[in-house]
Amino acid sequence: MAHVVLKSLVKTYGAFAAVNNVSLTVEDGEFVALVGPSGCGKTTTLNLVAGLIPVTSGEITIGDRVVNDVDPKDRNIAMVFQNYALYPQKSVYKNLAFPLQMRRLPRDEIDRKVREAARVLDMTHLLERKPRELSGGQQQRVALGRALVRDPAVFLMDEPLSNLDAKLRVQMRSEIKRFHQDLKATIIYVTHDQLEAVTMADKMAVMNGGYLQQYDSPAQVFAHPVNMFVASFIGSPAMSLIPLEASTVNGQTVLTGAEGWTMTLSPLNARKVQRSTTRKIVLGARHSTIKLAKDASPNAIPAKAYTVEPTGDVTFVQALMSGAVVNISVPPNVAITPDEQIWLEFDQERMHLFDGATELALKVD
Amino acid sequence: MSMTSIVTTRRGKPIDAWRWIGRIFLVMMLFYTAVPMAWMLLTSIKSGFAAMQLPPQWLPNEPTLASYKKLLDPNNSVGQDFLRFFWNSLFVSTMTTALAVIVAVPAAYAFSRFDFPGRKFLFFAVLLRNMFPAVIFLVPLFILMRLLGLVNTHGSLILTYLTFGLPLAIWLLKGFYDNIPYQLEQAARIDGATRFQAFVLIVMPLSAPGIVATAIYSFIGAWNEYIFAYTFLNKNEQLTLPVGIQRFFSENTTDFPGLMAASFMMSLPVVVLFLLLQRYFVRALTEGAVKH
Repeated sequence: MAHVVLKSLVKTYGAFAAVNNVSLTVEDGEFVALVGPSGCGKTTTLNLVAGLIPVTSGEITIGDRVVNDVDPKDRNIAMVFQNYALYPQKSVYKNLAFPLQMRRLPRDEIDRKVREAARVLDMTHLLERKPRELSGGQQQRVALGRALVRDPAVFLMDEPLSNLDAKLRVQMRSEIKRFHQDLKATIIYVTHDQLEAVTMADKMAVMNGGYLQQYDSPAQVFAHPVNMFVASFIGSPAMSLIPLEASTVNGQTVLTGAEGWTMTLSPLNARKVQRSTTRKIVLGARHSTIKLAKDASPNAIPAKAYTVEPTGDVTFVQALMSGAVVNISVPPNVAITPDEQIWLEFDQERMHLFDGATELALKVD
Repeated sequence: MSMTSIVTTRRGKPIDAWRWIGRIFLVMMLFYTAVPMAWMLLTSIKSGFAAMQLPPQWLPNEPTLASYKKLLDPNNSVGQDFLRFFWNSLFVSTMTTALAVIVAVPAAYAFSRFDFPGRKFLFFAVLLRNMFPAVIFLVPLFILMRLLGLVNTHGSLILTYLTFGLPLAIWLLKGFYDNIPYQLEQAARIDGATRFQAFVLIVMPLSAPGIVATAIYSFIGAWNEYIFAYTFLNKNEQLTLPVGIQRFFSENTTDFPGLMAASFMMSLPVVVLFLLLQRYFVRALTEGAVKH
């Protein structure tokens, strides 16, 4: 296994920059998820690492070797494709053997490795089948097997689970995670599903518009999103973002909503706001940090219930406040009807404040 | 109960009617194409006298293979000519097919996979030829061939057939390559193949049905072509079958069994090839390769 370093990576198509100045280091044995909405440049980044498309500028290092001009076949990488890309004319056995044959391994060693990989992935009984005779989950497994059969330096995975049904996806998710733990494999994993990234990866690289937004552990990204994009992309239901106006009243920093209500900020939050250059502040709060009350109380802010979605063990409520939609979760025994007047209490220690102009998170230091 | 049955019959009726109209139409088409073929086959095994009888005899009283024997006997002049024409046709068609495939495979692959300046225009230019009837090119090509000194050579026909066959071959093959997911090649390259190996080891076997189908198309086109062969070739020993049969037997108009036997022998390779072609076209190309 090896580490991977991307340094100021750029890929342009004409005037369009698909990948814009991306730098990150994947440590040896680390599982890194590239996550973002479609068109954010995550797959392009992966293809650059694979060598399937040429780099416009910047540098890619795998192990201790700069691989910018190295052919994909010589990069010692393995890749799992979204559509599996199994060779349809070859049996499962021959699909698994192909990367080894290309490396001119002796026949008996190929046979040993193929059977070992088939045993690990529990598909010895499928070796003689053709890909079209396999289920989606089995095809996925063969694709994984073809990647691990030859101990590559890095595994690249391009949305490997997105073609599976929901149940199988959850199952394969834990299998891939287990596979990473057992092999101590370096994995770069592309997904648009933030839940996959959060649950599987050691670190996640959140991308948008070709730019790397934040690169950190899922816990850090979740707790301290650097900007409004990351805040709203990670977590489900999405973090509510409420545009407010900051002002000082009687020496205290308060936020004012469009409806005229005010929220007095805690000293820490007040300092964050005072350091910013704009009066336009966006309040970010996750559903679990907002408390819902049916009656007015000193710290609670009025809102109007909009939709109510019971899921069984938790009920999600969408409320309207200051021109924004606020997601709240309540226990299933709390009865709310749409258009009902409700009051929301924000946890000042767990809420996020963003600069309304730059969209960056406000910080104290 | 009765209500349902009424509904089904009412619903079923128009569908059944269309199905029967379709079947009747197919039977009529079958007659239209099969009767001349059957007549050809039956006449070819009649004696010269039986072929001219009135009212016509459907099934010959004394079937004979004499016409075939005559055609395939290199010791008489009829057999010599026929075998020579057959060989000429085979040579021209095979060369055309081989060259078409050799050029079309990489060309179609390039059109399908690479983005190069002028790609769209070139592909349009390739298809442009197919918008005009072939006869339009008869005189220009004849002049060209004369300038090149190729009149009365098989080269003139091979070149001409390529100008018609190649665009079609490229267009057909591009369709096949478009259907082969690019990820397969990417996977192969990551698995240790060069770009060329990925093409030869992964793409070529997958496009084999397409290549075969394209080859058969080219072959049939060249095999059946008449008007260019009639214009470009004058010497008897160079003629291809369509022209050869016509010229040869217009001097022997009464020998209907001979004419029909020659026609049957000429259509035999095409029929065999066409049966093969059907099989390849029906075959699902990359089923199971990727999940769509």
